[in-house]
Amino acid sequence: MSGFSVTEPSRGQKWIAGILVVTYALVTLLPLLWIIATGFKSPSDAIAYPPKAVFEPTLEGYVNLFTTRTRQTPDYLAENPPETWYDEIVRKYDMVVVGPSRYGERFLNSIIIGFGSTFLSVFLGTLAAYAFSRYKVPLKDDLLFFILSTRMMPPIAVAIPIFLMFRSLGLSDTHAGMILLYTAVNLSLAVWLLKGFIDEIPREYEEAALIDGYTRFQAFYKVVLPQAATGIASTAIFCLIFAWNEYAFAVLLTSGTAQTAPPFIPTIIGVGGQDWPAVAAGATLFLLPVMVFTILLRKHLLRGITFGAVRK
Amino acid sequence: MSGTVMERAANATPPKLARQIKGLSDKTIAWIFVAPTIFLLLAVNIFPLIWTIRLSFTNFRVNRANLETKFVGLRNYERILTDSDIWLTMQATAHFLFWTLFFQVLIGFALAWLINRKFKGNDLWTTIIVLPMMLSPAVVGNFWTFLYQPQIGLFNYAIAFLTGADPSSFSMIGEVSLAPWSIVIVDTWMWTPFVMLICLAGLRSIPDSIYEAAECDRASKWRQFWTITVPMVLPFLMLAVLFRGIENFKMFDLVVQLTGGGPGSTTELTSINLKREAFEKWRTGYASAYAIILFVTVFGLASIYVKALNKVKER
Amino acid sequence: MIIDFFKTQIKGLIRLRRGPWEMLASILIALGVVMLMQPFALVAYTYSFFVLLVGTVMFIVVSHFPE
Repeated sequence: MSGFSVTEPSRGQKWIAGILVVTYALVTLLPLLWIIATGFKSPSDAIAYPPKAVFEPTLEGYVNLFTTRTRQTPDYLAENPPETWYDEIVRKYDMVVVGPSRYGERFLNSIIIGFGSTFLSVFLGTLAAYAFSRYKVPLKDDLLFFILSTRMMPPIAVAIPIFLMFRSLGLSDTHAGMILLYTAVNLSLAVWLLKGFIDEIPREYEEAALIDGYTRFQAFYKVVLPQAATGIASTAIFCLIFAWNEYAFAVLLTSGTAQTAPPFIPTIIGVGGQDWPAVAAGATLFLLPVMVFTILLRKHLLRGITFGAVRK
Repeated sequence: MSGTVMERAANATPPKLARQIKGLSDKTIAWIFVAPTIFLLLAVNIFPLIWTIRLSFTNFRVNRANLETKFVGLRNYERILTDSDIWLTMQATAHFLFWTLFFQVLIGFALAWLINRKFKGNDLWTTIIVLPMMLSPAVVGNFWTFLYQPQIGLFNYAIAFLTGADPSSFSMIGEVSLAPWSIVIVDTWMWTPFVMLICLAGLRSIPDSIYEAAECDRASKWRQFWTITVPMVLPFLMLAVLFRGIENFKMFDLVVQLTGGGPGSTTELTSINLKREAFEKWRTGYASAYAIILFVTVFGLASIYVKALNKVKER
Repeated sequence: MIIDFFKTQIKGLIRLRRGPWEMLASILIALGVVMLMQPFALVAYTYSFFVLLVGTVMFIVVSHFPE
């Protein structure tokens, strides 16, 4: 102990605070744990009353998520023994696997569009942020506000003309169209966040480089970029998470080829309504990467959600 | 300014070398760096916006392209602003906004205050609490409809367990009186950590010395809380409230997946209502005017938000 | 104290200073938002957009006034 301090909470206070916070955390975590658990339940366990916390885990949900199945006659089933482990799981319900489901494609779309738009927005954002941070750009404050305000626009409000525009340019339901759109939406976040990160790099480094005979461009990518690497990485993760989670544009502007996972997962249906174990399995696979990224990002989370205003 | 040092460096060297050092002029570089961003935003945001404004004065309908498009002046605006059904969706939005902000500020601030007691492992638990906020609202919202199922849903079961009511006796998303609260609950679950994180930053920005001085003046803990803690956190709280306010005003994904606006139109928030007009009834001109009204509202709030942002930045 | 506050604000308004004008615009925007979503009078809802528009445009203009 470094001596008595009036601002240090007492041990009792710490205990009570700790218990309350942990209780809240566990309650708040429950729906997420329930998603993961439901993914490993059989359909009957998933809708059991009372809700089952202890159950026999099965991969039925995941098999249903990735395959399309059809019901077969007992004769057919008797003649054709199951060939794979997933076929065997499906046999319990007198079904056979006839092919893959669309989930894989949709997941891949999410990856392509997410990474494509992240790369573009971070690339363009870094350049713009550097300029805003280091140079006198005319109307700087107005431009920065304009950039931020584009982020604030309600997606549905701009969706009407974008829908018309994409239709006439042949961009609707294409990867290129969605990448472009998400890049534009993420760009504002990228510029604001990266400007904050670049502002923190002392100008002396670049000045030294310039005196050493570097050109402005060389100073930018040999001195500033490596210094801003952490900032760029966390900005990229924020952009990726946004593009990954986005739903409004995706549901309005894509229907097939370029549809991402968020509009797709709720449409996974089984017999008589949503196939909850399959939905939960799809959601688990879709949400887990974001959870991992959130844990990686925890030091920069605050910056990301406040456009770099609060740095802690 | 850095310019002076760099210029001195450039001027001190022979002209040819100087040009090489400076390369392009600062102004040109700045423009090359900024232009792609501005261009993309103009193309994907401002151009569509101007198009929306133009459409909002017409009776254009996407699904009837042959129909002659007529200029109708301010009639679309007039009709929207005197329509009591749209007024009702605004009120539904207001209910959603008010209660989500109320609960999120209350719980978020309380949590931040507790975490700031610096108990062992508070970092780990903060990270766990933050998780829901980063997840896809549509996917999570869809799964909540499962938790809300009468009888088999975990939420109903938990409520039944705590109150003794029959878990199949109520349906959070099926009943007119409960549906508005079902969306408030999920949004609060999702976004309380946001308010908490910002409040925590506010609490941590207060220097210990202020409390020490107050302690010397024999101010009670209660008084310290109201005269030091609250005023110092207030700018941060304002920021959080404004941001959540803007986000929830245009709320779409979570609620669409949860209730889809139903039952009836009890949870039909403005964005959902707008989506119906634009992409189900295809009244493009009318919906454009509607979109402009929402846009101006958000833009107004966003300007206040940026002002609040700069205020916090100065701290 | 409160009277002094208003005095400086009004002085700022007359001299076209940014602070008080921005506050006025913010108040208009806030008023517009309340009018838009209040459940009491349809008339207030009808004119909310006008108030919002005035507030927002005013904000953009006055943010270029000197401090």
